Amino acid sequence: MHIAEGYLPPEQAAAWFVVSAPFVVHGSRALVRQVRADPDSKLLLGAAGAFTFALSALKIPSVTGSSSHPTGTGLGAVLFRPPVMSVLGGIVLLFQALLLAHGGLSTLGANIFSMAIVGPWVAYGSYTMVRRAGGGLGPAVFAAAALGSLATYGVTVAQLALAFPDPVSGVGGALAKFGGIFAVTQIPLAISEGLLTVLVVRLLSRTSGDDLRRLGLLRPAAEVRA
Amino acid sequence: MLPGPGSGSATLSIDSAVSVFALDIAAHTGPWRDRHPAEKALLALGLLVCAVALPTWPAALLSGGAAAVLLAAARVPLVVVLRAARVPLLFVATSTIPLLVSMPAPARLAIDPAGLPLAAQTAGRSVAALTCLLLFTATTPLSDVLPRLHRLGIPPAVTEVAALTYRMLFLLVESVRAVRQAQAARLGFRTWRTAYRSLAGQAGAVFVRALHRARRLEEGLAVRGYTGSLAVQVAAHRVSVPFVAATTVLLGAIVTVSTGLVSPW
Repeated sequence: MHIAEGYLPPEQAAAWFVVSAPFVVHGSRALVRQVRADPDSKLLLGAAGAFTFALSALKIPSVTGSSSHPTGTGLGAVLFRPPVMSVLGGIVLLFQALLLAHGGLSTLGANIFSMAIVGPWVAYGSYTMVRRAGGGLGPAVFAAAALGSLATYGVTVAQLALAFPDPVSGVGGALAKFGGIFAVTQIPLAISEGLLTVLVVRLLSRTSGDDLRRLGLLRPAAEVRA
Repeated sequence: MLPGPGSGSATLSIDSAVSVFALDIAAHTGPWRDRHPAEKALLALGLLVCAVALPTWPAALLSGGAAAVLLAAARVPLVVVLRAARVPLLFVATSTIPLLVSMPAPARLAIDPAGLPLAAQTAGRSVAALTCLLLFTATTPLSDVLPRLHRLGIPPAVTEVAALTYRMLFLLVESVRAVRQAQAARLGFRTWRTAYRSLAGQAGAVFVRALHRARRLEEGLAVRGYTGSLAVQVAAHRVSVPFVAATTVLLGAIVTVSTGLVSPW
């Protein structure tokens, strides 16, 4: 869920740039170091960015009869790690603004914070916790994709609530209002994205096991059961 | 029992995917194609800053109106603009509803007429800013912008990854479209179960093709003596002084009128 161009008041839009900047700068430094150490990784990172963009072009059918787009946050974070996703996610969000008019330039900072920072970190944290607790790859990937998508939705709702507090009940009331109106689409979407990501990883385990092992998703001991 | 997603929605998805890059195509084929991107950025992004940062009334009307007139002057097809505006306008419409109601107590909502000015101001600012963004995106190809981003202080490694992403994403989105079409022809979207399996197939195909593409590029560059730099030749465009002067006058007039230094009446 992208906040549209110009929707946030200018001070809030600027504040979200300031909040997102350290994460993007840290991710950019990590990316520059990685590319300096291995110039060929630039091509893999370009492919990862294009893959993330193409994932967001998938159309998940919804119970309302329309279709929604996955964020791709969970799978991206698990495959490429959150620091890199803060840069790749930023590039993808810039492209979505400039190629599709989804999101915007003034709201880029806010959208980066929800979709390229909080979403990937929550997804990666959920994935790591489920794996450490002894969970299988399937449950871990489901948790990563569903909770990453939910976190993105939650942060977007919080950004809107902070920008437009309810005149009577303040930010709390605004959270309930914005949360309620977008929950209809975003909660089913998060569950759908979780299920879809499990199917994708299960498929890739069979067809691209070596690539997933190189990215660290599968352990060398041929763990192919999702 | 819930009905399946149905072949109807799959057909609709394929049709809408055809013009997924319509804005970039308009930018590549429009009469402003050879203008320097900095000129267009000054004009469209200058208007966008005016729409967002100045008092909404009258800045949104002036900036949005100017952008709409300029979109017509740049001969951007109206259908391209309207199609691109659908999703953001749906967001604006949906998220403006909570501004029109208040929550005096938990789980109690009341229509709040006092919220109307804020809702109008927010929606007006957003629609005006969106029009300005569309003016930029529908006249400036991304391929002209990316090689110049390092001048803004962005590390070359990041702009080169962005350029590679741009280079590959058309092929990958086209792959998604082709796979979806093939799956729809094989009744792949008849039930929820087959629809999810088909979607996983699309994502899997894109992943495999993206990595395959990266490997082929790697091999191709290696045999050409790749040293780590992916600098490409950028077409030289001359900055038009009259265009920049007219833009400055327009932006100056909007700032002056909007901040009330000179009454328009």
